[in-house]
Amino acid sequence: MEFIGYLGDVFTPFNFGLLMIGTFGGLILGATPGLSPTMTVALLIPFTFRLEATEGLILLGAAYTSTVAGGAVSAILLNIPGAPANIATTLDGYKMAKNGHGARALQLSFLSSAAGGVFGVLLLIFLTPILARWALAFGPSHIFWLAILGITVIGTLEAGSVVKGLLSGCIGLWLSTIGFDDIMGEQRFIFHSSLSGGINVIPALIGLFAIPQVISIFAKGRADSGTEILSVERHPISEAVREVARRYRALSLGAVVGSIVGLIPGIGGQIAGIVAYDQSKKISREKEKYGTGHSEGLIAAESANNAMVGPSLVPLLTLSIPGSPTAAVLLGGLLIHGIFPGSDLFENHPAVAWTFINSMLVGQILMCIFGLYIAALAARVVLAPPSFMAAAVLGLAVFGSYSVYNSMDDVYVMLMLGTAMYFLEKFGFSAAPLVLGLILGPIAEANFIQGSLIANATSSVVEYFLTGALNLCLISMVAVSLLYSVWSEIANGRNPVASGNGRARP
Amino acid sequence: MKKLLAAAAIALTSLAGAAVADGHENYPERPILLMISYGAGGATDFQARIVTMTAGNEDALGMPIAIINKPGAGGRKGWNWFATEADNDGYTLGAYNIPHFIAQSIEGGVDYSADSFEPIANWGADPAVFVVAADSAFNSMNDVIAYATENPGKLTFSGAGLFVGHHIAALQLENAAGVKLAYIPSNKGGAAAMKSVIAGEVLGGVNNLSDAYRAREAGNVKILGVFDNERNDFLPDVPTMKEQGYDIDNSSVNFRGVMVPKGTPQPIIDKLAEIVPAMFENKRVLGKMNAGGSPMHIMTRDEVLEMWKAREATLEKLLAGL
Amino acid sequence: MTRFSHFQNIVAGVAIAMVGLSVCVISFVQEPAEAYLFPRLISVVFAALSVWTAAKAFSGHSNSSNGLSEKELANIAPGLVAALIYIFLAAETLGFYTASTIAFFAVYSIYDTASHRELRSWGKRIVLTALFIAVMYGLFAKVLTVFTPREFFQ
Repeated sequence: MEFIGYLGDVFTPFNFGLLMIGTFGGLILGATPGLSPTMTVALLIPFTFRLEATEGLILLGAAYTSTVAGGAVSAILLNIPGAPANIATTLDGYKMAKNGHGARALQLSFLSSAAGGVFGVLLLIFLTPILARWALAFGPSHIFWLAILGITVIGTLEAGSVVKGLLSGCIGLWLSTIGFDDIMGEQRFIFHSSLSGGINVIPALIGLFAIPQVISIFAKGRADSGTEILSVERHPISEAVREVARRYRALSLGAVVGSIVGLIPGIGGQIAGIVAYDQSKKISREKEKYGTGHSEGLIAAESANNAMVGPSLVPLLTLSIPGSPTAAVLLGGLLIHGIFPGSDLFENHPAVAWTFINSMLVGQILMCIFGLYIAALAARVVLAPPSFMAAAVLGLAVFGSYSVYNSMDDVYVMLMLGTAMYFLEKFGFSAAPLVLGLILGPIAEANFIQGSLIANATSSVVEYFLTGALNLCLISMVAVSLLYSVWSEIANGRNPVASGNGRARP
Repeated sequence: MKKLLAAAAIALTSLAGAAVADGHENYPERPILLMISYGAGGATDFQARIVTMTAGNEDALGMPIAIINKPGAGGRKGWNWFATEADNDGYTLGAYNIPHFIAQSIEGGVDYSADSFEPIANWGADPAVFVVAADSAFNSMNDVIAYATENPGKLTFSGAGLFVGHHIAALQLENAAGVKLAYIPSNKGGAAAMKSVIAGEVLGGVNNLSDAYRAREAGNVKILGVFDNERNDFLPDVPTMKEQGYDIDNSSVNFRGVMVPKGTPQPIIDKLAEIVPAMFENKRVLGKMNAGGSPMHIMTRDEVLEMWKAREATLEKLLAGL
Repeated sequence: MTRFSHFQNIVAGVAIAMVGLSVCVISFVQEPAEAYLFPRLISVVFAALSVWTAAKAFSGHSNSSNGLSEKELANIAPGLVAALIYIFLAAETLGFYTASTIAFFAVYSIYDTASHRELRSWGKRIVLTALFIAVMYGLFAKVLTVFTPREFFQ
């Protein structure tokens, strides 16, 4: 309960002002395609040079929290995930906005983000020592199996056929091997000089989601298709609160899965949302509604990806090991003030550590309040004429993908992948599994190679990857997931109505 | 030392006077970029942000330096870009890591070598150290090597990747001790390599002194030896490899500094070479670097040129056996 | 399913199968083997799944898609050409913001349902274009200090 003693520090006028700036700025930057939480936090580091340690960390903590939630805004309204963490949010969130429920979708997403986020931070406060051991339990073989588990989830992610889902995933996995391989440094599959740097995840993410949408507006031409929404339904906040409460199963599942997966260094943050979405779909009584604008999927995904924020910092705060790129940047923010995170952080610098954690706790709530306020206004984006949206999304995609690494190559890759994706979508392939393959490919590959190197030196590869309780547990999850995919493909075949028409874009 | 630097500064100021004549007198007129070939949050990125924070001051460049990251494949992506695509007008600087980029250019498959770049100044030197988990049975390098001699090829130890400082240190250790070891490169840099040591996935690891120092403060690791010619100020109690009987010099020490692409106008190089080392000497910079546990080592352009040459020679010899 | 869409499904299936098979062949031909171990593993699955999909397309059992109509393809062409010119040509020769302004205005105007004859709707398009670019400039150039390719007049 020590953290309560330091709660007052967050509410001094200056600190609270910083918290507000961090939260509001984070929401806006997070909603901008291309500005992932990592980039936003890195951009803020120079500002913290001039601040005291606690002040700087309040700013960073608040910004981290709210950029993760801000990514949901562009995922819901524009179908562009602000960061890999928001991929699952697009699946139902964007459909809801398209059906005129944008305000409701945003409200639900902020409420479940805050609920999940607070849960995650509370875990960080109370269970840090236990969580730290869990984070260390995952070695190369386990992370390899976890990546494979993520890949098997791909097949059932969207309504289309399992084979095409898996094939989309394979295309993503292959794309991830283009460029230098991260361990050996060999160049692979470089057909054009702009690929020599490989395919970067954020530009690819933007292209694969944004460009098909731009082209589908093109495809309708100038003729008014008549499917436009004329008004955005006003949605009372109290009702959103009630809906989140009613979907408590999805909410709590998301929070728990998000926190557990978020803890695992090197992989967790990116797949927390998608794993939670998949799990909640599998246990849901209304499976068939997923992917059509169903609020359960949105709630599970968003509560998971904010729940991951707190636990993802456990390895950093206790072991001084940044478990994610964002944590690495935050480590810089601590070091600059001469603070070394480690098991004694809470004894040596309690004011700094607890204020940082408190700022994330209060930041979650503040983010939710801001978010609810802007939801109704932001949801009006769907009222913009399609031609304006096409131009604006194209512009945002170009600026966003350029600014990640200041590179035109990324913009070329973004456009080419996006254009190809539009045509692929017309034949039943989908972007989410492809991106997941792109993200998980390098993780699976590197951990497989590291694992085999260790295994060759100590025991045998078979023993290293196939024995041990955690390995067996993960392998059985992979098997269950695969069997489930096969079973649902067969069920789909018998019931042609459920198989749908790929990913129909309105 | 201070006096010497002051004298050097005066000498360089008179040199820079010559620059006025040929159209570069107003350089820099707009903000300058500094390309880092590692991701945001890595040690190179973190230190670069600190040492360049005073660039906008009137007594420094008078224009801010903005950091751009081009991470990937152990730095190859960024340096390839820097050698082939970066503008050589003095507005695009790059950070170098020695021995990384020289080792990679010797290994081949990249578009750069030491001749593709012009060094400006060096800001830091981060030696590699050998770490083991806090509860490890190893208490000295001799314990480690004794184990490796009994179990050839079975001593697993992690490092940040292939053809980077840690890998060079690993090769030197193998050569000096005459044993076969199992070096496990990480794809996510030093932090991931450190995690595998603490989690017990490997028996030991080569890592950056600055990160290892922090991990030891946190009680997670023991540091058994430094891959450098002398002991380090941050770790006065840790012996060098030479003290423990392994003939290893400072070839693996990770030197970090600023460079420009070949073809940058000489007056601009001269001006940068004069101002940048002085900028690194700023008190606030030194304070922040020290607080973060990052060892500073400021070198002028001429010293760096010499160091690059020396490294190239030793690395060619060391990597010839691979 | 029309004949045109059946034809398209076959073309798409064959294209994917070609990519899958060539990736598979390239991975097994290229050296060193260690670096291509993972590509080899995935390319086998990739090739198998892509051939399966192509076979399904031939048999007409591809249940998932109707492809594109000729009209849609004609509609896409001008916008796609504008986007390609914008990104591959204009962005680096004219400068980032100049090219973005022109591209935004072009795409917006081509597909705007409002009249192309009225002066007022042209005025509205110009104002909205200026507004969008101003916001982009404020956010990316001023707040985030992103360095973009320089404008031709600089």
